[in-house]
Amino acid sequence: MAKFKLGSSIILVVLITLSVVGACQAFVFTDPTGLYSTTIWDQWVYQAHHSTAQITVFYGEGNYDLLYFESLGTVADDSVDLLAERSIELYGDPGGLESFQLETPLKTMDVAGQSGLSCVYTYEDARGNTLWEYRVFLLLPGNQGFSIALSSDKPWVRENPPLLEDILANWRWLL
Amino acid sequence: MVLLFFVLLSGSVQAASLGERFERTLGGSAVPEILKQYGGEHVLPIGQRMWVEEIFRRLVEVTEREDVDYTLTILNSSELNAFALPGGYVFITRGLISAIGRDEAELAAVLGHEITHIERKHGVNAVLRQMGLAVLLEVGVMTLDLASADLLRVASATLLQLVSLGWGREAEYEADLSGQALAVKAGFDGVGAVSLLDDVFTVGSEDLPMKIFRTHPDTRIRRDRLEAALVSFWSTPVVVEDRDVVERLNASRNSKQARRNDPGGRYVVIVPDEGAGLHVFDQQVRQYVTWFENTKVHDFAWSPQGQYIALIVNEGSQRQLWIGDRWGKKTKSVGLSGQAITEMSWSPQGNQLAILVDGPMGSEVMVTYLEADVLLQVGGDFTGESSIWLDTGLYFAHGDMWYHTSAPKVSPVTIRNPVPQVLQRQRILSPTVIKEGNTIRLTRPSLTIP
Repeated sequence: MAKFKLGSSIILVVLITLSVVGACQAFVFTDPTGLYSTTIWDQWVYQAHHSTAQITVFYGEGNYDLLYFESLGTVADDSVDLLAERSIELYGDPGGLESFQLETPLKTMDVAGQSGLSCVYTYEDARGNTLWEYRVFLLLPGNQGFSIALSSDKPWVRENPPLLEDILANWRWLL
Repeated sequence: MVLLFFVLLSGSVQAASLGERFERTLGGSAVPEILKQYGGEHVLPIGQRMWVEEIFRRLVEVTEREDVDYTLTILNSSELNAFALPGGYVFITRGLISAIGRDEAELAAVLGHEITHIERKHGVNAVLRQMGLAVLLEVGVMTLDLASADLLRVASATLLQLVSLGWGREAEYEADLSGQALAVKAGFDGVGAVSLLDDVFTVGSEDLPMKIFRTHPDTRIRRDRLEAALVSFWSTPVVVEDRDVVERLNASRNSKQARRNDPGGRYVVIVPDEGAGLHVFDQQVRQYVTWFENTKVHDFAWSPQGQYIALIVNEGSQRQLWIGDRWGKKTKSVGLSGQAITEMSWSPQGNQLAILVDGPMGSEVMVTYLEADVLLQVGGDFTGESSIWLDTGLYFAHGDMWYHTSAPKVSPVTIRNPVPQVLQRQRILSPTVIKEGNTIRLTRPSLTIP
């Protein structure tokens, strides 16, 4: 019985170790247009089918887990505050997002030397599922808008998830 | 005499100003009824709304009337319809926007058509004509109280009657052509007006509700007029005098031969000796395949991006142009009765093909579009012996000279002040169906990391 317990414990430790090692494995992703690079966890799969020169899309393991980076091109806003506030207003307006609700207020943050604003909001998709989205707004030199978004049907995106921390910590602007 | 002139001028200026105010009031008076009839205003999703508004803004920017304040309203109706009211009110249904999809040239054609009705005062003139008042307004009779409530009520009722019938055949023809010209001036491809009607023909066979076409004159005639007008947007061919350009063109002409390798990097074309079909080596599966079997292929050319392959094939005694997709499936053919196509070249954007067509006086220089069944003779009175397309336009050799012609620049729509998109995950990964000869292959969406 003791032997069995010891064997089970070893297997459990090995499994936990493997899962931790697996969770931490990541690859370096370089934007095809040469704007940025970062590391993405292996569980997140690049979606060539849904990505364009402006948007890069990754799917996570959960059915609704989605990560995407978007280059907006030139925006007219003079500051990232204006860009973020205008975006949130439009998301909440008619024609925007269904049942849009700002869950956390905008807060300043730094992405590899570029100051931005982040927030978390919820909205409903066409099937009535509530989706959570962590959004980072950035205004790069030359008034180039940029955005990082992480979304899921679970509220884990709200709590500064390690995935996002890794992405932002390893973020490099290449221009 | 001078005094009389000033009196007349003052009268006509006042009449114009009065007419403009009347137009706006008249159009505005009908707006609530229009909204009621068409399910109210529809709010498009953010990205689509910005796209539609940007197309509308570009068109309005190049209009001539400065006294008109243009507004666009999306109506909450599945009907395929668009119309304009005097005074700058343009309406389009969500059904028509949905049918057009993301084709900006087609949407510009619709909106350009409606804006032209306002620019040319088709609506207000039709109402006044119907009420027998047009002449009075023309001569500036000031005793007519255009602001009176009674007159406005009658005019508004007349307007609502007429808007469902259209402004008359000639007004529609004028709106077609001037709307197309407006769209071209605003940087859209004029072919959108033609492809819109072509697409609608297809949709029309499914009996969808399309009032816009019941109120308009014969669609075939309109389509043919719009196609005929396309060539007028091309510049008149002029002799190329820049020696560097001429040398470059001569060098390209002498080394002209079909590029065997697909620009997408997958296929290599091997032209068979017998000329039966197109033998292709697929580098991905390392197999030879034959496309367009039992067809005598005279020449071929990959589109610049490799999405299409154009062929000149011998069909009976004719030489036709065929276009196939990158899986070897024929998508389009262009043939001219009794005339042979002898040469072809893709435009740098891959949306047009220049072809040389044998005629009684030599080869005519023509252009056809990938997305629309149009054929334009762009060489004017000149025949051509060879054609080369550069970024600056189309060049063709005539004798010892090179001639240059070009279409107006087309500028893709860029949203002026975008906001980040909100994406949602696609839950079903649909496989791509690829037909290769007699086999069908399903592929998963590419998951490769660049």
